[in-house]
Amino acid sequence: MKRIFAFIGVFFLSLVFLWANDKVANSDANNSEVAQVINETPELKNKYPIKPHHQQLSLNCIHCHKGQGDNPEQLEAIGDEGCLSCHGSKKKIAARTGYMDLFHTNPHNSYHDGPTLSCDECHKEHQPSQNRCVECHEKEVPNWMKKVTL
Amino acid sequence: MSRKRGSKLDEKGNTMIQALFSSIKKKIPLLLLVGIVIGLIISYASYEAITRTATPDFCVVCHEMAPMRASYDQDIHGGAGKTGIRVNCVECHLPHNNLFNYVFTKAKNGVSEVGLHFFGTVGTIDWQKNREKRAEFVYDEGCIKCHTNYAMNEKLKPKALEMHKHYNALLNTDKQIGCASCHAEIGHKGLNNMLNFYKPEHKLYEQGSAREKQKIDEKLYGK
Repeated sequence: MKRIFAFIGVFFLSLVFLWANDKVANSDANNSEVAQVINETPELKNKYPIKPHHQQLSLNCIHCHKGQGDNPEQLEAIGDEGCLSCHGSKKKIAARTGYMDLFHTNPHNSYHDGPTLSCDECHKEHQPSQNRCVECHEKEVPNWMKKVTL
Repeated sequence: MSRKRGSKLDEKGNTMIQALFSSIKKKIPLLLLVGIVIGLIISYASYEAITRTATPDFCVVCHEMAPMRASYDQDIHGGAGKTGIRVNCVECHLPHNNLFNYVFTKAKNGVSEVGLHFFGTVGTIDWQKNREKRAEFVYDEGCIKCHTNYAMNEKLKPKALEMHKHYNALLNTDKQIGCASCHAEIGHKGLNNMLNFYKPEHKLYEQGSAREKQKIDEKLYGK
């Protein structure tokens, strides 16, 4: 009889330990660091709007303009290297729209330039983006791809 | 008079209950033991039921998703890595916070999917549109179960580490994001391409896409 009680006791005790361990594991998952600060007023956000997919991630000025100081007027363009620090490589981006290679109209791996164009030839973060292919292929481009919105 | 009678009845009832209790009391350890054994048997049975229905090969029987399966097959999570290790669909696409939520979501998905499968409204699904909600049907617990140190792994690129800390900072706020918010094709390498092969977004690619689709179908289902 005693043994059965001991067995049951150990069983429930181990359940309690499992539960407690879970609580501890969950409690210390939350910490982040604070760095360079830019006060993002609504006016500033209006002046330098960012693309919806970046907005969705709650990205702020500093995520891209790291180490460029606290003055929003003095921040500089980050260039391909900046974009690619998150987006990987030009080859990877070209592969994402790779189905367009079927017709050699993949803008990230174009017939003329391959995967070498600078991101900001088409994609502008704080201004409307523009499709550079249109400069020569005005009539064809609407059949090739969606409008560049990002 | 009536009060007296009442109390008499109460007494009688009390003694009966006491007797019942004392007879049960002796059997409590036995009952507990039997209960635990039955519990274990039921747990094992449900474990088997859950794990046997958790493989990609089971999922695709009903779930309409050739492009998803094909892109999964060429992803590192789908066995395309050096080791060939595969992650099951359910690891990412079902919640793992508790078992009830898991089983409930599984059942809910199953019912709606069987409906879609047999009453065929599959063609009307706009996959690209659904992908915008990807953070809702990719459960981060699944990712983190393997990628435990995503926010402090020094071997990650600095930018990745920074963004993973950003993710942590947004947790439990109204701005919370999911792993798939950024990792858009994770688990399904080339998903955008596959979806376009199956349902071209532009007329120009229709012929080429049909050829590609045929190749993929052959690979998936044999000839």
